[in-house]
Amino acid sequence: MQKTPLFDEHKGLGAKIVDFKGWALPLQFAGILKEHLQTRAEASLFDCSHMGEYRIRGQKAIESYGKQIISDVSKIPLGRGRYGAILNEQGGIIDDLITFRMAGDELYVVTNAGPLDSVTARICADNAGAEHVSYETGKIDVQGPRSRELVLEAGFEEAQTLKFFNATWTTWEGHAVLLSRTGFTGELGYELFMENDLTPKLWDVFLEMDAIEAAGLGARDTLRTEVGYALSGQDFDETVTPLEAGMASFIAWDTDFVGKEALEKRRDTDGHPVQVGIITRSKRKPQQDFEVKHHGTAVGIVTSGTYGPSVEHGVGLARVPRALSEPGTQFTAGPKDLEIEVAEIPFYKKGTCRIKI
Amino acid sequence: MYPEELKYTQEHEWIRGEDGTCTIGITAYATEQLGDVTYVELPETGVKLAKGAEAGAVESVKAASDIYAPVGGEVVEVNTALDDQPELVNESPYADGWFFKLKDVDPAELSSFMDAAAYAHYVEEQSQ
Repeated sequence: MQKTPLFDEHKGLGAKIVDFKGWALPLQFAGILKEHLQTRAEASLFDCSHMGEYRIRGQKAIESYGKQIISDVSKIPLGRGRYGAILNEQGGIIDDLITFRMAGDELYVVTNAGPLDSVTARICADNAGAEHVSYETGKIDVQGPRSRELVLEAGFEEAQTLKFFNATWTTWEGHAVLLSRTGFTGELGYELFMENDLTPKLWDVFLEMDAIEAAGLGARDTLRTEVGYALSGQDFDETVTPLEAGMASFIAWDTDFVGKEALEKRRDTDGHPVQVGIITRSKRKPQQDFEVKHHGTAVGIVTSGTYGPSVEHGVGLARVPRALSEPGTQFTAGPKDLEIEVAEIPFYKKGTCRIKI
Repeated sequence: MYPEELKYTQEHEWIRGEDGTCTIGITAYATEQLGDVTYVELPETGVKLAKGAEAGAVESVKAASDIYAPVGGEVVEVNTALDDQPELVNESPYADGWFFKLKDVDPAELSSFMDAAAYAHYVEEQSQ
């Protein structure tokens, strides 16, 4: 397994370590429930150094990159990020990603660990201005309603004015750090990208603060499911198009990108399924790969499911026919016919991520 | 490490046998593997379960597994406190976190299970 620059820190904190896409990462520290509730109440610190990062520099490189993703790169304003995806020729999702415009002639792209090699092949092939920087980049996420004051306390003044889905280059102890106001929890939060060696130093600075605790992949998963965020490799993969993964509104149909033709065909032939949020009316949880049945007939599949510690019932995502995607639609799922129903996303409605400053 | 007075199954359940009734729960090892328990489904009282029959389920934020009746018997009591406080399974697996009680248990069935030392050895092998 590959180790992140924070591996020794996790060991020191007594984390339960698991293999996630070939990386040794903490599943939990104090326990998933505690870490989840801590994130919603104050703030948590996540090691996301396993994720993928790319720097795209120069107009030609940006144009070439733009043909690889479903977003219209030319329309991303300076300092803003845009959610998107990179597709195969069949329109299937190789990975989802965020593209930040850091300067007129510079982008910063954040992707996931699982499909890293395929993504690198696509982003960096025949593009001299595209640089893959994942292996020299550490990443810390500070997430929770108190994250702004903590990031300020650590010395990042830019947090004072940084808006949701914006990013800026800054420095910390003389080293370059990219600070973005993004995350995967539904809470006010920041992601900090920096060189590997700097990562443990900044991690320790945050951990010494009172209002923040380390959190692992387990809490990251319950937090993101409770707000209905899809996870690459789980809720979608190369066999699923953006139309079926809740990404339809992120497709820039008036630009050219790999997979567009297949996607148009998919769009124009009726009957592709869609992603919906699902809940239970009890503490029972839907589980990944549960077959979804409507009046006894198999119609879909649960792609994510967990108990939602903040909403106190089961939550998840499923792929079902469009005709059965209205909130309130009832299904049964799994071998014991668990009762589930379609519900609006986010399930947890008090998230602070969009809070105005 | 595991209470001496209990018997243990390969499915990581414990059995406390007294006067023809048996109390069933899951071991500390099982709760560590599951993580924070969020839901426990228990059998109805009065139901007769055969040895090995499915008796319920236990769910945590990251896992789910079925509960089996390690011995045959009639369900005389279930731990209703787990409805509101599933965390008792983690906090107190051998006392407050018990699952259900069976009566009319054949004492001979109990002799086939592991004692604490054998179970500790079994767990060690499992985790390697």
